[in-house]
Amino acid sequence: MTVPAPLNIDQVYHRCPPEKLDFETTETLEDLELPCGQERVLRALEFGASMEGRGFNLFVLGPSGAGKQELVERFLGRHAGEKEVPPDWCHVYNFKNADRPKALHFPAGQGREFRKDMNDFTDELRTAIPATFESEEYQSRIQELQEEMAKRQHQGLFDIQEEANRNNIAMITTPAGFTFAPMRDGEVIDPEDYKKFSDEEKQLVESKVEELQKKLQQTIQQIPRLRKEVRERVHALNEEMVQITLGGPMGELREKWSHLPEVVAHLDAVREDVVEHAEAFQDGESGPPAGLLVRYKVNLLVDNAETQGAPVIYEDLPNHQHLTGQIEHRARQGTLYTDFTLIKGGAMHRASGGYLILDARRILTQPMAWESLKRILFSGEIRIESLERLYGLVSTTSLQPEPIPVSVKVVILGDRMLYYLLSHYDPDFLDLFKVEADFEDDLDRDDGCYELYARMIATMARGVKARPLSRDGVARLIEHASRLASDQRKLTAHDRVLRDLMSEADHWARQAGEKLITADHIQQAIDEREYRASRVRERSMEQITRGIVKIATEGEEVGQVNGLSVLRLGASMFGQPTRITATARPGKGQVVDIEREAKLGGPIHSKAVMILSRFLASRYAGERELSLSASLAFEQSYGGVEGDSASVAETCVLLSAIAGVPLRQNFAVTGSMNQHGEVQAVGGVNEKIEGFFSVCRNSGNLGNQGVLLPESNVEHLMLRKDVRDAMGEGQFTIYPISDINEAIELLTGMEAGVADENGDYPEGSFNRKVQDRLVAFAEVGKKRDDDKDNGNGNGGKDNDD
Amino acid sequence: MTEQPESVPAEPGSGRVLVLLDGSRLSLSALEAAADIAALRGHEILGVFVEEVNLLRSSGFDFAREIGASSGTSRPLDSAMLEMRMRSLAEQARRSLQRAVASRGLRQALKLCRGSVIEEVLGLVGPDDLVVMGRAGWSATPGSRLGSTARGLIRQAPGDVLLWAEIQRRPGHGVVVLLNDDQGANHRALAVGIEQARRHHQPLTVLIRSHGEGGQEVVRAIEEQLIARGAGARVRLIPRASAAEVARILRQERPSELVVSRQCSVFDEQGADQLLVELNLPVTVTP
Repeated sequence: MTVPAPLNIDQVYHRCPPEKLDFETTETLEDLELPCGQERVLRALEFGASMEGRGFNLFVLGPSGAGKQELVERFLGRHAGEKEVPPDWCHVYNFKNADRPKALHFPAGQGREFRKDMNDFTDELRTAIPATFESEEYQSRIQELQEEMAKRQHQGLFDIQEEANRNNIAMITTPAGFTFAPMRDGEVIDPEDYKKFSDEEKQLVESKVEELQKKLQQTIQQIPRLRKEVRERVHALNEEMVQITLGGPMGELREKWSHLPEVVAHLDAVREDVVEHAEAFQDGESGPPAGLLVRYKVNLLVDNAETQGAPVIYEDLPNHQHLTGQIEHRARQGTLYTDFTLIKGGAMHRASGGYLILDARRILTQPMAWESLKRILFSGEIRIESLERLYGLVSTTSLQPEPIPVSVKVVILGDRMLYYLLSHYDPDFLDLFKVEADFEDDLDRDDGCYELYARMIATMARGVKARPLSRDGVARLIEHASRLASDQRKLTAHDRVLRDLMSEADHWARQAGEKLITADHIQQAIDEREYRASRVRERSMEQITRGIVKIATEGEEVGQVNGLSVLRLGASMFGQPTRITATARPGKGQVVDIEREAKLGGPIHSKAVMILSRFLASRYAGERELSLSASLAFEQSYGGVEGDSASVAETCVLLSAIAGVPLRQNFAVTGSMNQHGEVQAVGGVNEKIEGFFSVCRNSGNLGNQGVLLPESNVEHLMLRKDVRDAMGEGQFTIYPISDINEAIELLTGMEAGVADENGDYPEGSFNRKVQDRLVAFAEVGKKRDDDKDNGNGNGGKDNDD
Repeated sequence: MTEQPESVPAEPGSGRVLVLLDGSRLSLSALEAAADIAALRGHEILGVFVEEVNLLRSSGFDFAREIGASSGTSRPLDSAMLEMRMRSLAEQARRSLQRAVASRGLRQALKLCRGSVIEEVLGLVGPDDLVVMGRAGWSATPGSRLGSTARGLIRQAPGDVLLWAEIQRRPGHGVVVLLNDDQGANHRALAVGIEQARRHHQPLTVLIRSHGEGGQEVVRAIEEQLIARGAGARVRLIPRASAAEVARILRQERPSELVVSRQCSVFDEQGADQLLVELNLPVTVTP
């Protein structure tokens, strides 16, 4: 097997070809309306926005900072412009059931007009009706009526008084009523004189008095009935007068709104109510009570007078109240009071007929908001209920406004994890959000993409009000976008990172007094960002440089190799080498993963060690017994170890320990390996290489170091300039490997050797050494077993079991 | 009352204000009005409580029963009970009178007597005195909007009689003086009208019943009188029509108070009482 050729600097960095950027500055580039490379999302949005069916709401999933909201708003804004403007909605008083305000809808813009009409009507009521009541006509009619009724009431009493007087009986008022007594010459007879009357006379007087008393009683008892009659007739008169007064204005309103039968019905109800409460308008000075007039007002909940096309609403605080609307209260003399004018619409009302954009995380963290949203989408109507009522915390009666039908397309923005969790745990979710719009993290970097990407950068720069970028600035940004995507053939689609970088570069350009953002400013922004996040990395490097953490970058050692690991801290990540060591002795075919035993290793790491142990057995033991007790450890690693990217390094170090062949310490190794010894791709290769490079450079003897990485990882390389420079000068080398044998040869300088048909490796090869050593281990093991069986050994002393 | 009288019909202190108290709600309201007038004029106030002899006698019969004015129920009426009620009403009248004058710093006296109300009052009142009384007493039922006592006194009293009625004064309404074009006592009614208009800060209207001849002269005379007293008023001639017609004209004027001279010819016509019955507002009748 031949050792693979080291990579040249063009293979580790994909430059942006300047000829592809046909402009001087981004100032000349046109805006890009929709982002490039997001065809999947755009098609999903297009479908979701125009699909009429129930439950075809959208969930736009992608990492935060990908610019989901901006894209969706822009897209829907364009889409909504072609749609019809939805109707206005009003709540009006329900005269049949005051607790259930009615909902009326109007063609867009007419709600406002109706509200004004009703306000004018109310103002007119305030003046016109009292004027009617003060009119001569009304006053004289009421006077006539009262006089007539008074006469009827008086007449009875007068008649009795007259009859009493005719019979010489006086009707005298007492503090509480009336009494009758015999009279002579206009004066009541003295009771003593009366005693002198004959029995006949007395009987005559007394029977007359009794008769008068009965008549008086009957007359008085009729008074309440007469009073009631007066009240009824006055009320009828009031109604008549109000009807006449209302005739004009109400007729005009009915005519004007005749195209909306529900509105006409409401106007009729208003007229009946005014007539019914005619008396309340009688007091011309203080006017009718405000509580009465407020009932004729209109609460315009949704006003689309100025809406163009369908509404696109983004609700940034999607709590229950803001979504469904709420019923507010006013404190009045220590009590809370509400009426239909205090009903406030929510985002659902405003978005009805259009689109509502919500953030998944926010709506899920607001109590009941998610449930309320689902309920509205299922029922197709908005029912305003307070949170306290939903929780059953209050039982006071409140308003229950008539539900308003709603047809809204909800677009939820969230990260992928939320989408998958909701799909899994919420049985309603997929019924309601049938359209999945998945954002691309990366875009393909091909020859056709440069122009679009440059226009996207130009649009972004204008968006953040940054200076225009020069051609080399755009090129540097495109290269960095590939680095961010960790792929030479991709560009990151992460909106926020690029925007921030551009803003920062603009800052440095301004500081430098430049009119354009150039590659230097972009590089400065990248360096500054890295520097700001470099505290932990530098502390870690320092420990290696000072020898506190032991990493060898030269010489050879048996059972010791440099692995590479990546640490992620917040938004930044960095790589660093880790010493991996191995031991080997005869045993029962076991490889002890010390990390796992210490519970510091993750399941993927354990899996990789198991693969490696099976690889060993199948490759070197063949059909023989594998007598091996080996151990693997990440030295000076006190945190967890996870992933399989060290399995090539682990295999090499273990084989070195078995064969007793030293490994070159000027190399670091990364890559995972399968059971057949093939090397597979891993993540974070750029950071890993740069981490090892920094260690070598800091050690002061940079010259012949290098990194072995899976061949399939080569296209992920976008290495830093200083690494590339060192490579150019031959001080640092990167070898792409595809098989474990290549790694062995590079690390040991020996031929690895290929097994013949019997499974034996050629003499003098590395693999033969391993094989021989394992045979020796097996013999030792067998001898020990035999001794134990013969009873003359110290059986069971194998500590490795 | 800090307001000083600007014009009074008689010299301060030369008359009294007599107020008839019977314990009814209207009489208490009349007492307040009387106290205001007395304070304005600086007169003494004399409360008169008369135990009506006819009432006392009527309770002495074995068969006497009282029919409730509101309920119509009948219950026995006996002297002892009635006497007790009268005493309690008298006591209430005394307290009310004391309360009414206390805040105004007036001199007051209460006269308790037994007999016929009209006779007792006529025995007490002089030409300079003003009698204030409710339009009706206890039996303020719809049937008696002008009591018999009121009817008697407005015809017989030597001085002014104010028949009090509870009304709500509204802006725009004013004091109306009703006169005849051929009567001699116009100046007295006019003076009372001016005083009342000032007291309530209300406009004054003078209506003169005229045959059409010489009416303008009377108007001029009245206007001169008004100028002399430093008062302004609207003076209007009205035809000498029936009492009902006068009532209609008066209503058009929206009066809050009426001043009328007893010599006004309207009193000679049939149904003159009816005029007062129909106008449910304070009426001052001058001799």
